[in-house]
Amino acid sequence: MAHIDDSIFFATITEVNAKLKAKEFSAVELARAFSDRLERLGPRYNALALSLREAVIRKAKDVDGEIKRERFRGPLQGVPFAVKDLLSVEGHPTTWGAKPYAGQVIDETATVVTKLNKLGGLLTGKLAMVELAGGPSYRYAAASLQGPGLNPWDRTRWSGGSSSGSGIAVAAGLATYALGSETSGSILTPSAFCGVTGLRPTYGLVSRHGAMALSWTMDKIGPLCRSVEDCGLVLQAIAGADSNDPASANKSFYYTPQFARPMKDIVIGFAPVDFSDWAEPAARPDLQKAFDLIKQLGVQVKETKLPDFPYGAMAQTIIAAEGASIFEPLIQSGRVDELADQKQIAGLKAGLEIPAKDYLKAMRIRTLVQRAFRELFADVDVLVTPSRFGPAPKLSQPLDRPLSDRPSPQDRGMSGLIPAGNLAGLPALSLPCGLAEGMPVGISLVTRPFGEGLLLAVGREFQARTDWHKRRPPVS
Amino acid sequence: MHRRITRRHLVALAAALPAAAQTPPAPIPANPEEERKAVLALFRTNGETLAKVTLPMSTEPATHFKA
Repeated sequence: MAHIDDSIFFATITEVNAKLKAKEFSAVELARAFSDRLERLGPRYNALALSLREAVIRKAKDVDGEIKRERFRGPLQGVPFAVKDLLSVEGHPTTWGAKPYAGQVIDETATVVTKLNKLGGLLTGKLAMVELAGGPSYRYAAASLQGPGLNPWDRTRWSGGSSSGSGIAVAAGLATYALGSETSGSILTPSAFCGVTGLRPTYGLVSRHGAMALSWTMDKIGPLCRSVEDCGLVLQAIAGADSNDPASANKSFYYTPQFARPMKDIVIGFAPVDFSDWAEPAARPDLQKAFDLIKQLGVQVKETKLPDFPYGAMAQTIIAAEGASIFEPLIQSGRVDELADQKQIAGLKAGLEIPAKDYLKAMRIRTLVQRAFRELFADVDVLVTPSRFGPAPKLSQPLDRPLSDRPSPQDRGMSGLIPAGNLAGLPALSLPCGLAEGMPVGISLVTRPFGEGLLLAVGREFQARTDWHKRRPPVS
Repeated sequence: MHRRITRRHLVALAAALPAAAQTPPAPIPANPEEERKAVLALFRTNGETLAKVTLPMSTEPATHFKA
């Protein structure tokens, strides 16, 4: 039996795949090692919803057979991954992180999981999440069937959500990469708080089929990985047309770093107030350094303002109305009261009372938001802002209250970019870029629809000059 | 009686302005009924905010049905 060094748990997709093909170990040995680690450490961080040990070892035997016959399927072959428990896997429980669905089994596998399986991926388990992906809103980190996601960097702090287990798994080396989802912040937040690289794709680029719906018009599935390169490889695998998803954009994505635009041709839009006043004092030095480094890539920079729309009110109205409609049976049956978070329960119930005129108004303003961003991206290629303005909060901190007594700056800067970007369906990339109070902080890049290649190009240059994405939390 | 305004008063007044302008967060609701009322109030406020946005009549929602 080959000795598997601990460094494999923090290796990139390409590194793991290369070692497999070089026969340093077998896929079965790798699957066992990652399953052991996920089962042993996952519960320590409340990250694990379900281990798929038996299934993944069966799959790994097939992969070993293919590698032996030199039937190669690409860089994801034999690489262990795990997915947020809102993605269904046939014959296995899919809990959506919520007590009322604890015993749910969906007899179909999500499209994105099927795609990764076909490429020889090793699905080791399902990862914890905030219940029902946090919609319409929740107050405490404990809003989950598995309990609060505990940050691998400091278990007294939250991992971020709603893709809490996905952020934890990648940060703590429980999987080489993970899939998460974002309706409004749920990939970017755990990526920033756990110090991993997360990619929110353009709405419609990746099939939602087999994923729990929270908001039909805002849900996106995307990767959380150890590097920009890994995000590119996973996105290439999971993107593409799917007739089972009515919102499918019928577009593919090909990761082609060799054709990246020269940095000097790229215009970065930013708001200085984001880094000087919105950022929490402890996070400012490293966030500012990260932005300075991006400028040093040779890009052009331009002070930019977000189009002025009530993004918060729009996002809350749309998510609450769509989410309440989706979960109407849960609400009407009274089983909604079994959820863990009181604010979430109240929000789902109240969502059924949102007048149609409010929902329609939000959706009409959304058309203007899209138009405004098209105009913005005529002058600017990529927006840059802190992914979150500070490090992960303490577990007991109410998430819907200001984290400090500092007054909010008068200048909004790009503080509304998470709801704005999600309303407009824009892609975003969160890059680990430093530490604040010993905890990771991240910087986000956002661009026009289907501009993921551009995000990855800038992100790749950033990670070529930094090592934040290689830092590891103190996991024993 | 005319009161002299000192520099100390002006500094204190200037320091107090951001705090005065900042609306303190509402207290965390004490029970499910209070929680429900708070969320309904929030959604009502959101609706009022959206109502203030003027739209050209021709603006359609950002989603369309196709036969």
